Amino acid sequence: MYASRKSRWSLTGLQVLLSAFFLISVVVPLIRMLANMTGADFAAIVTSNRFVKALVNSLNISLTATAISVTLAMALAWCVVRTGIKHKNLWILLFTLPMLIPSISHGMGLLVLFGSNGILTRLLNLQFHIYGFWGVVTGSVMYSFPVAFLMIADVLKYEDSAPYEAAQVLGISRIRQFAVLSFPYLRKPLICVVFSVFTLVVTDYGVPLMVGDTDTLTLPVMMYQDVIQGMDFGKGSVIGLVLLTPAVAAFLIDLLNQDSGNSAFVLHPFIIRENKLRDGFAYALCLAVSLFVLLPIGVFLLLTFVNKYPVDLSMTLRHIQRAMDMGAGKYLGNSLFIAVVVSLVGTVIGVTAAYFTARVQTGASRFLHLVAITSQAVPGLVLGLAYALTFRGSFLYNTLTILIMVNLVHFFASPYLMIYNCFHKLNENLEVVGATLGVSRVRVFFQVLLPQAKATIVEMLAYFFVNSMMTISAVSFLANSSTRPLSLLIPSLEDTMMRESMAFVSLMILGVNLMIRLISNWYKKRVSQ
Amino acid sequence: MEKRDLSQKNDKLVVENLSMVFSKNQILKNVSFTVKDGEIISILGASGCGKTTILRILIGLLQPTGGRIYKDGRDITQLPSSQRGMGIVFQNYALFENMTVLGNVEYALKCDKSKRATARETAMSLIRRVGLADYVDHMPRQLSGGQQQRVAIARTLAMQPDVILLDEPMSALDAETRLTLRGELQSIQKEFGTTMIYITHDQEEAFALSDRIIVMRDGEIQQMDTPQNIVQAPANEFVKRFVCDNLRIKIDSLSRFA
Repeated sequence: MYASRKSRWSLTGLQVLLSAFFLISVVVPLIRMLANMTGADFAAIVTSNRFVKALVNSLNISLTATAISVTLAMALAWCVVRTGIKHKNLWILLFTLPMLIPSISHGMGLLVLFGSNGILTRLLNLQFHIYGFWGVVTGSVMYSFPVAFLMIADVLKYEDSAPYEAAQVLGISRIRQFAVLSFPYLRKPLICVVFSVFTLVVTDYGVPLMVGDTDTLTLPVMMYQDVIQGMDFGKGSVIGLVLLTPAVAAFLIDLLNQDSGNSAFVLHPFIIRENKLRDGFAYALCLAVSLFVLLPIGVFLLLTFVNKYPVDLSMTLRHIQRAMDMGAGKYLGNSLFIAVVVSLVGTVIGVTAAYFTARVQTGASRFLHLVAITSQAVPGLVLGLAYALTFRGSFLYNTLTILIMVNLVHFFASPYLMIYNCFHKLNENLEVVGATLGVSRVRVFFQVLLPQAKATIVEMLAYFFVNSMMTISAVSFLANSSTRPLSLLIPSLEDTMMRESMAFVSLMILGVNLMIRLISNWYKKRVSQ
Repeated sequence: MEKRDLSQKNDKLVVENLSMVFSKNQILKNVSFTVKDGEIISILGASGCGKTTILRILIGLLQPTGGRIYKDGRDITQLPSSQRGMGIVFQNYALFENMTVLGNVEYALKCDKSKRATARETAMSLIRRVGLADYVDHMPRQLSGGQQQRVAIARTLAMQPDVILLDEPMSALDAETRLTLRGELQSIQKEFGTTMIYITHDQEEAFALSDRIIVMRDGEIQQMDTPQNIVQAPANEFVKRFVCDNLRIKIDSLSRFA
């Protein structure tokens, strides 16, 4: 280390401070939640019929949805990365649209389309209905496949074509190429994708709350009902612990799976040859999926602006007015405020932490890196409950601050890893060169590192913002009628059967998030030029 | 920081009994050598011989397990990199990718209050001297490897260090660029009178460039002498094989066509 002793101590001090922050914001609430279980009869809860049924349902639904999601995502990633289709950025935007609205909206979209009184049910005179197992699976696929798609597309983009060319020269068949080259290459990242998607689905309560019936009660719904309706925090904590297991497993597998990352590696990009049949197939698939994604959004528009579908098709602003009367405007204000503060504060903390872990290698940096990504192992619902238990009765409870805190911690890991990778890729000797030139670390940070991380920082801001706008899981136990974010208006409107207003609220969230996404895409494109 | 009377006047750098142990592995064993003012010294050895460790200790990135370093008679072993008055040029250049050629070269000058006023002027004259006058407004990624190398050298020269360390600076370049740069490095050295320590695994380069060569193996100095003396009287079988035989093979393969 070239840094002087004094500055090395102050660097270590800051790292200890950051580590303490993460320990307090993640670990302490979890311990508080676990301690809360002492009052509950653990054995009685886990062996109860209701729990066992919910567990089996959760596993069935999540496994099925994960299998479909990952397969679909692989096909779409292949379309976007390895075929000659046009307008790839537009397709990517379309496929990731579902990431911009809460899972509960997906559930509602399905209800409006395929419910017993649904638009398509009536229009096509369908004999099946959406409630139950397949409805929950469909909704879960809808909001989880974009995550898998982005992850797999990223992996495919960085695959080397040289082994394939060598295999072709050696006359090895396409099928064998897939078995001996593609599969081993994809295996590790695919394990991570599978676990991430599974965790996402198994901990979600938005979709099953909307389209589930009594036979498809899942663990998160049970937890939601026990805590929100039954005020039984002990039972909630037990379920929280169970939900923590797959997430922790995913986290550990991801940790063990991490590639050392060879930046000096020379990549031979794939050359996409002309193939009309392949492209035709890709277009068909992309179009079908886009339709699947856009259909609910179209329906939201229809419901919002039409008087009463299908009885009265005249245009109206009545539903918007009603949503506004119920406080949609005020809650939008709450949401925007939370999202902006989480973005700014989260990004500053993320950049600072990543600077220490990626650019200053001291004893504490490995530890800091680990605690910075632990929040990934805690599902939002569990984190929310842990926060509710820890801060009940404190001055933070019932404030916007606690909502900001919980979102910041909940969504921290991904943007942190973005900037960590970015800093890691920059030349390792920049600070050394700076030091020999008499340029301080602080200057190198602000004038050399940050300007090169602009695109990543915008991506971080957008990630925090979009997710804070749409989340319902982490905030559901913590918000009250005055601090409530807009997304939580959806479940409460559901209780009063105001579908049209729910559709409008979903559109509001989509609108804001889409705008943020487009701005960040535009900025990234500008920077890369 | 005691002054040492022992040192001769023109000794720029004195390295005494340097040793380095990494988790029970002895990377350097009692390495001692002296570099005279204005000399070009090559540290030559295969990968893993400890040459990069010496460089990292000299610039202050690593603290040696034992031994001292004196510059101009002053003990600098404990000084931070920024106070050693040394410059470094890395194999991968480590240019500031977000700044132009001019930006890179004048950056350190602009950060220094006393040099700010003349920063532009000094930087421009250095850029001209390394032959990049037509590229002042280019970004590093628009330059060839050899041009980036020159920017890195000009950037280092801006702060007028009296010792420049070069870490395998030619290894990523093609043969022709290496030849041109080699000549330029020598003329820069003459013009600025800077002492240079050149780390390399390439025998030919070491011989073409240096006043003296340090041949290293397994953390120990095998021989330190002028290129001529090394060829005429290799200190041991290793030096003979690693340096002389390798050079002879290269020369022989060329003379077949002569």
